[in-house]
Amino acid sequence: MWAITKITIHEVISKRIFLFTVIMTFVFLSLYGTAIYFAGRETSNMGPEVMEGPEAVLMQQFVASQMLGAGLYFSSFIASLLAIMSSVSAISGEVASHQIDTWLMRPISRAQFVLGKFVGLTVLMMAYVIALFFSVIAIHQGIGVDWLALDLQPMQMVKAAGVFAIQPFVLIAFGILLSTRMTTLNAGIISIVLYGAAFIGGFIEQFGAVLEKTALVNVGIIMSLVYPVDSIYRKMTTLLFVTTDSPLAFAQGGLFTSISSPSNLLIGYAVFYGIIVLALAVYSFKNRDV
Amino acid sequence: MDVIRTNSLTKTYDGKGGISDISLSIGEGTIYGFLGPNGSGKSTFVRTLLGLLKPTSGEGFILGEPIGSIKSREQAGYLPELFRYPDWLTGKQLLERHAELCKIPVRQRKTRIEEVVELVGMSSREKGKIGGFSKGMAQRIGLACAILNDPKVIFLDEPTSALDPIGRKDVRDLMVYLRDQGKTVFLNSHLLHEVESVCDNVSIIHEGDMIAQGPWRELMQIEAQIEIITDHPEDIQWPSFVSHSRKLGQQGTRTTWNIQFGDELDIPRMIHYLSERRISVYEVRQITPHLEDVFLHWVNRKKENSYVGNH
Repeated sequence: MWAITKITIHEVISKRIFLFTVIMTFVFLSLYGTAIYFAGRETSNMGPEVMEGPEAVLMQQFVASQMLGAGLYFSSFIASLLAIMSSVSAISGEVASHQIDTWLMRPISRAQFVLGKFVGLTVLMMAYVIALFFSVIAIHQGIGVDWLALDLQPMQMVKAAGVFAIQPFVLIAFGILLSTRMTTLNAGIISIVLYGAAFIGGFIEQFGAVLEKTALVNVGIIMSLVYPVDSIYRKMTTLLFVTTDSPLAFAQGGLFTSISSPSNLLIGYAVFYGIIVLALAVYSFKNRDV
Repeated sequence: MDVIRTNSLTKTYDGKGGISDISLSIGEGTIYGFLGPNGSGKSTFVRTLLGLLKPTSGEGFILGEPIGSIKSREQAGYLPELFRYPDWLTGKQLLERHAELCKIPVRQRKTRIEEVVELVGMSSREKGKIGGFSKGMAQRIGLACAILNDPKVIFLDEPTSALDPIGRKDVRDLMVYLRDQGKTVFLNSHLLHEVESVCDNVSIIHEGDMIAQGPWRELMQIEAQIEIITDHPEDIQWPSFVSHSRKLGQQGTRTTWNIQFGDELDIPRMIHYLSERRISVYEVRQITPHLEDVFLHWVNRKKENSYVGNH
């Protein structure tokens, strides 16, 4: 299995897409840093009527949370797309090109092949997600230190990063499952549509919570069960931002955070979901011709 | 012990195509030819043996281990027909990855890689990226991969498809070398001369069915054929054991005939028959049938049998 893991990591790093990803990540972080810099400068230049008193605290929290939420949301978006794109071709791409033939004729099991691929991709993507998470936080806290910085404790950030890293775990497991039976294109389309649906479900759930509409909340919960990606992101934000079940909290955090904290059970469910999906991927690949 | 054995091995796709009811056994230290036209099921058979395809029915064993099991592949090497290797690896890196998968001890890897690279004629070129290799070079590095783990049985699927004449000779020499080392080489090919030049035993496969198998020389004896020059200008009353006769030409009183028999033993009987009738014979030359004729003979025979069987 480890040999396949090493091959997978080597493959991702050797391909040009990896270089583009690194470059585009730096471009994103630079743009984000620029935005934070100007947001911090412009807001701190506002008059004393805005910069002093309880309203100023609210304003500071609002802008800072929105900016950090937006940065993390976009980070989640990039990382998720990368996780989907790298996983949906993990098996199908090799089957289509027949490169898999000489690997699979070696004395390894199909399960070892799938798990090797999964571990390789997950390790890489988790490292990427965690690096991106701390980069965004560092830029936000560093550049926005005067006015935008939030009071984030180290353990708070570590916990949030840990939850954030579960996202690629689920996405890659699901992508590989589809990849064992479908072409790369079909698997990619299904994964991306589900990903989009999950996030829209998340937004609907947030609105439902504010408006106290159970039906809307239920739509979000069902989507979280079908494709538990949004709940991971929401949980991560609740570990970073103040969360209360009030419209004020929603207004402060905006769409990129969560009005209420998803339960730990939902995170447990996401991990369990990933494991089950991975087991299905192994079973599916074991029983197919290549 | 048989190196490869199959009993009624069948692999079909929704009941169509593939291979049907293939039974064979192959011993140690031989080059076994699996001959058939494109699309006849040769690759399907090898891929089923190597566990890449799940058999529909029947069973197969490699070195006594059931096909599909990890153990059955421990002592096997494989060069696929559609050889595609990761273009982001160098030839050497590819061999290192395979060495790791084959669990070749770390200390032996470097030496073994150097050995196989030299055997396939890729010395000093193995450090290049596979993406920059010509098809011939990629096929050579594929061959190196196939023999890397010093396997007891090597499956070569159309191993010379991308090679020039020198390369083809190198591969034939390599197969003979491997056989001399006691290895079993299973050669898939649609090239009759390739099979003829190196194989000891052969199976002929057509539309998924095995239509003949045995020693190559025996399969070649589909009919005895001679060219004979006699002094008899007129038509001769040929005996009943002559299956076909044709006048090829005449010079003066000497006539050249092409005569075909069902059996090689009919040739001396023919000479005896002519001498009894006082027909002078100036020359008798046995004709080796064209390889295509051999193949078509077995294909047609199978078709005739199935036609008879269906009625």
